[in-house]
Amino acid sequence: MIQANGQVSKAVVTARAQEGTSSPVRKKKNRSLLYKTITPIAFIIILIGLWQLGVRVFETPKYLLPAPSDIWKATLKGFPDLMQAAGNTFIAALFGFLLSVVLGTAVALLMMASKWIRWGIQPYAVVLQTIPVVAIAPLVVIWLGPGMNSIVFISLIVAIFPIISNTNLGLSSTDRNLMQLMQMYKSSTWTMTWKLRFPYALPYMLGGMKISSGMAVIGAIIGEFVAGIGGGKGGLGMAITSAAVQMQTSFLFACTIAASLLGMAFYLTVAAISHYSLRHWHESAIRSDNE
Amino acid sequence: MTTTIDRKTATEAAEAIRIQDAGKQYENGTLALSNIHLSVHEGEFVSLVGPSGCGKSTLLRIMAGLDQATSGKVQIQSEQASFVFQEANLMPWRTVVANVALPLEISGVSAAERKQRALAALEKVGLTAHADSYPRQLSGGMKMRVSIARALVSEPKLLFMDEPFGALDEMTRHRLHEELLNIWMNSNLTIVFVTHSVFEAVYLSGRVVAMEAHPGTIKQIIPIEESYPRTNAFMTSPQFGEKVREITNTLT
Ligand SMILES: Nc1ncnc2c1ncn2[C@@H]1O[C@H](COP(=O)(O)OP(=O)(O)OP(=O)(O)O)[C@@H](O)[C@H]1O
Ligand SMILES: [Mg+2]
Repeated sequence: MIQANGQVSKAVVTARAQEGTSSPVRKKKNRSLLYKTITPIAFIIILIGLWQLGVRVFETPKYLLPAPSDIWKATLKGFPDLMQAAGNTFIAALFGFLLSVVLGTAVALLMMASKWIRWGIQPYAVVLQTIPVVAIAPLVVIWLGPGMNSIVFISLIVAIFPIISNTNLGLSSTDRNLMQLMQMYKSSTWTMTWKLRFPYALPYMLGGMKISSGMAVIGAIIGEFVAGIGGGKGGLGMAITSAAVQMQTSFLFACTIAASLLGMAFYLTVAAISHYSLRHWHESAIRSDNE
Repeated sequence: MTTTIDRKTATEAAEAIRIQDAGKQYENGTLALSNIHLSVHEGEFVSLVGPSGCGKSTLLRIMAGLDQATSGKVQIQSEQASFVFQEANLMPWRTVVANVALPLEISGVSAAERKQRALAALEKVGLTAHADSYPRQLSGGMKMRVSIARALVSEPKLLFMDEPFGALDEMTRHRLHEELLNIWMNSNLTIVFVTHSVFEAVYLSGRVVAMEAHPGTIKQIIPIEESYPRTNAFMTSPQFGEKVREITNTLT
């Protein structure tokens, strides 16, 4: 009995010892991951705490700098309005983004297909990026009228450039050997584009989409600044404008936070789609899996 | 055995490729090839050797129709050609079997037949077990074998290979030599093979084309009379050493 007991405990000890050789590394990794998540959360909590404290101690007027608790209250109170505004902005940004993907890809494909189009468009594609959108937004409103059309259009012109330039880069960096191989088998241009150039360009395109997803939200809000219409149809841009005019600074903060969250949600969705579609083969997706 | 030799070296066999006084000048003025005369017969295994920059790849690409000669005449009898590059050049987003099936897909073969023929080609290079892997999961030698299977799947008459085994270790290279010779002997394939290695050229080919640079010309064509199948004993034989020496002397 005693002997058996002794054996058992020995076995446990050896098992522990074996475990001990491999686990410290994993434990360390887990711990550093834990610290990596906890640190920024702790940081923001401390910051908000200091903010709250500062505002209370110095008694800053609410319209200048509301305390976090005021922002929270304003959020709860204006929640239905906020959600409606965010919903409108979401729809505008989504359409702006989708249109920029479709049109941007089409433009890049045309640029690939014909060097005349490429030479003709390329300089303007760059100019498009440097035009201050805020400056031409009123023009868009004159043409398309206030409301959704203008807002979507402005979101589109803000978001389209990364799509065009990245897709263009991706399509023009196709592996030459593979292209020649396909030519050798008498591949049509269509087959070549669809089966080789397009998949080759996909990681570049998705990179462009990640950038423009956030920009589409910014574009939609800029659009709402200039083309938003009241009556709960103006989205976050309109809500921000009216909150600012009425000095509802707390609600203004709530709107800004909602806008940031919306942009982030957009970005993360596109990033997830990107990761999913590249998971089998592209270094970017494989590497982040291992991290 | 003798019939094999006859088939592979007979000059009466139909010509698969005939090049007469061909030259190639690139747009930047580089004269890559000049005064090239070469006939390749059906079922032959011909190697091109020579120093770097002597125009081996250029000549191969012209034979394969990937590039045009700027002077002279080039006639290719068969439309059904395949090319194996120095790198495997697989599509990373396709599985091994889908990579191999690519040429069939381009020529519109049905999905079921594609799969079956791709698997058969993979079997020839001994990679059936990895059909559903992605290229990144394979070693360099395995990728090269996928690339060879892809070249074979369309059942070409002509196979062009540009230093296909250059990046491989000695052992893998030798195994692939055996596999390649096997495939060649069991078909009526004509192979034109570019290599830096005189040993490789002598071991594999029925004729070795020795080239020199500035400008790229053919210096000499050396027949290797040894019969197929060739064994390891050939590699250590005096004839082998003699041929290697002869070609090396020609090149230097
Ligand atoms: N696209 C090109 N444009 C201009 N010159 C070229 C081009 N391709 C090759 N050349 C030149 O033609 C000559 C022959 O090149 P090629 O690639 O055929 O040599 P090679 O014998 O295959 O060399 P290596 O053994 O290093 O592969 C070289 O001088 C090279 O610089
Ligand atoms: Mg070369």
